[in-house]
Amino acid sequence: MGKSMKKKNTALASGLIISSVLAAAMIIGIFYTPYDPDRMNGAEKFMAPCLQHLMGTDNFGRDIFSRVLEGLKTTFFVAVCVTATGSFFGVLLGAVTGYFGGILDEILMRMNDALAAFPSILLALVFISILGSGKYNIILALGIIFIPSFARIVRGEFIRQKELDYVKSARLQGAGAFRIMFVHILPNILPALLSAVTVGFNNAVLAEAGMSYLGIGVQPPDASLGYMLSEAQGYLFSAPWYALCPGIVIILLILGFSLINEGMGGQHA
Amino acid sequence: MLEVKNLSVTFPEGTAVDNISFSMEKGEILAIIGESGSGKSMTSLSIAGLLPHDAAVSGEIVFEGRELLTMSAKERRGIQGKDISMVFQEPMTSLNPVMKIGKQVEEVLVLHTELGREERKQRVLEALTAAGLADPERLYHAYPHQLSGGMRQRVMIAMATVLQPRLMIADEPTTALDKKIQGQILSLLKQINKDRQMGILFISHNLEVVRDFCDRILVMYRGKLVESGTPEEIFHNPKEDYTKKLLASIPDGKRSEGAETGNRKPVLEVKSLNVYYPEKRKQKKQVIFDASFTIYEREMVGLVGESGGGKSSLSKAILGLNKHIEGTIIHHTEYPQMVFQDPYSSLNPAKRIGWILEEPLRIQGKLDKKERKEKVLHMLECVGLEPSYAQRRPRELSGGQRQRIAIALALILESKFIIADEPVSALDVTIQAQILELLKKLKEEFGLSYLFISHDMAVINEMCDRVFRLRDGKLYEEL
Repeated sequence: MGKSMKKKNTALASGLIISSVLAAAMIIGIFYTPYDPDRMNGAEKFMAPCLQHLMGTDNFGRDIFSRVLEGLKTTFFVAVCVTATGSFFGVLLGAVTGYFGGILDEILMRMNDALAAFPSILLALVFISILGSGKYNIILALGIIFIPSFARIVRGEFIRQKELDYVKSARLQGAGAFRIMFVHILPNILPALLSAVTVGFNNAVLAEAGMSYLGIGVQPPDASLGYMLSEAQGYLFSAPWYALCPGIVIILLILGFSLINEGMGGQHA
Repeated sequence: MLEVKNLSVTFPEGTAVDNISFSMEKGEILAIIGESGSGKSMTSLSIAGLLPHDAAVSGEIVFEGRELLTMSAKERRGIQGKDISMVFQEPMTSLNPVMKIGKQVEEVLVLHTELGREERKQRVLEALTAAGLADPERLYHAYPHQLSGGMRQRVMIAMATVLQPRLMIADEPTTALDKKIQGQILSLLKQINKDRQMGILFISHNLEVVRDFCDRILVMYRGKLVESGTPEEIFHNPKEDYTKKLLASIPDGKRSEGAETGNRKPVLEVKSLNVYYPEKRKQKKQVIFDASFTIYEREMVGLVGESGGGKSSLSKAILGLNKHIEGTIIHHTEYPQMVFQDPYSSLNPAKRIGWILEEPLRIQGKLDKKERKEKVLHMLECVGLEPSYAQRRPRELSGGQRQRIAIALALILESKFIIADEPVSALDVTIQAQILELLKKLKEEFGLSYLFISHDMAVINEMCDRVFRLRDGKLYEEL
């Protein structure tokens, strides 16, 4: 047990380091980027990484490092909003269905199953074609799609917790259903919820990148890591750094959160 | 037959068994007594060869001239189950739920003998009969969930005796069972011991259980052997302080003064109560039939019955936690409360003790913040805990301390009627006595009435003025 504990601590520490470096980069990117991420410069197309341009430049002569910082900001923002939307409504839905059970549970969970049965990208495509593309529509679409996974985890935990004696004890003291659900039970499921949030965040990063790559996500001039990848794919051999830099940042972003999740003992990978 | 010399078992976290030596004669019944954590189970597991992997063992265990600790795993398996068998505490979990009873008992025969299918079945049926089970032919094809706790423990005993081993290790085999069934299982073990000259190493936390049962008693405390002797010596002439304390904590089984109920006010009236247990798809199973009784102020009423007999269903119905009822329940007091059996699940693990104790007052909106805090500290004092416990979380407390908090929680709304559902059965015997003492003291101090649920008649007799027994869902008053 000592060994696996140590392994977990190492995972947690490295995950925290990676994620905080990226978070710091993102925060700096809000206030300062070495160049204007959108400024084109015909004289500096496809420059390899050098001291002036840490990650080189792209087909319009834009500084890739600045654009990665900008894209990181967008991706972070979208992922955080999607996770927040999904977990907020997921917790609400899971708590109500898990605690009350009965016919309400049956109906809501069947709807949940139906939503979960479609591939998320496909559903997102449908939503986007109705709502139109753009940052906020992506958040809305992905947020709705992420509700079922949170709802299911929260519901399971609530079903387990509501049978415990401390819940009966709270009922005897006269606590109402909503007080029991959100004041008594909710703190006890935080570990499971936190683990679901880190996994959800990763899935949101991937979904945003995937959709932007397909051109239905974040629209130019907003920079996004996924959209940069799709722009870069024409120059994979002539300017490999163009694709590599945003790609590596996506990998690090996900690796960081996965390690944190593993370090906390989460299993819902 | 069995000789244990200088046995020590250590774990990375500490020493469980500290240099103990004892021996056992053929056909002897030897009991090891101690509270949980005393090392009694680890001693038996080292003899059975079932220690956890991170345990380090030193010393010698010689069984019929053979050293068990140094022999190869294969040789050891040849002895396990065949010459040394084991019966565990939990009959609910020690049988494989998806395997038929017959197959499970037969398994040891498949492993250790060359018998053919028909002979094996014959032996299994004989063993089931010898374990006091009626209709072995039907049981052979039954699954564990179709059997009661007592029957399952008999199946375990059949399994442990089918190969006629010379030594059976029984680790708290009766602790999870009702008093009545406990007695039956003990006399069954005694019978087998006499008929077959099979030695029994009996592990228990309960001195009373082994009193008339064993030939010799070893008392263990914190990994060490503190005293040994015949039951007469231990019970009439204990030498060590710890043994004296153990003896003193056995409830003396005397019914307390019968209380006059004539002109007392009732706190609870139950009239023709039927309680149902909801099963799937609108079907209901009736668990309580037409129960009527009254509990008066300052009265302790006992409720006994077999496990699964509806004691908990009845108490939940009384408190309104079960809505599937018919009949009348009249509470003459405000906020009837409950002290639960398992202090590990009855306190919210995510909150601090102070918060937990304040919560009922907060919900009822009775006092302001400062008054609430004062009340919490006062209640902690009443149940014998320091004020600093308010800052702690449930997991930092022992079982006994948690049960004290649970009692404080039940009393903080100044409730006058409390249902105590097996409040001490999850606790060690020395702690049990303290909690029972506390319940009695609080009854006098606050003028409480209890409905006291237990399977332990000794506890009930010590605590209660009147006793009800639940049998097959019907309530009888014991006189």
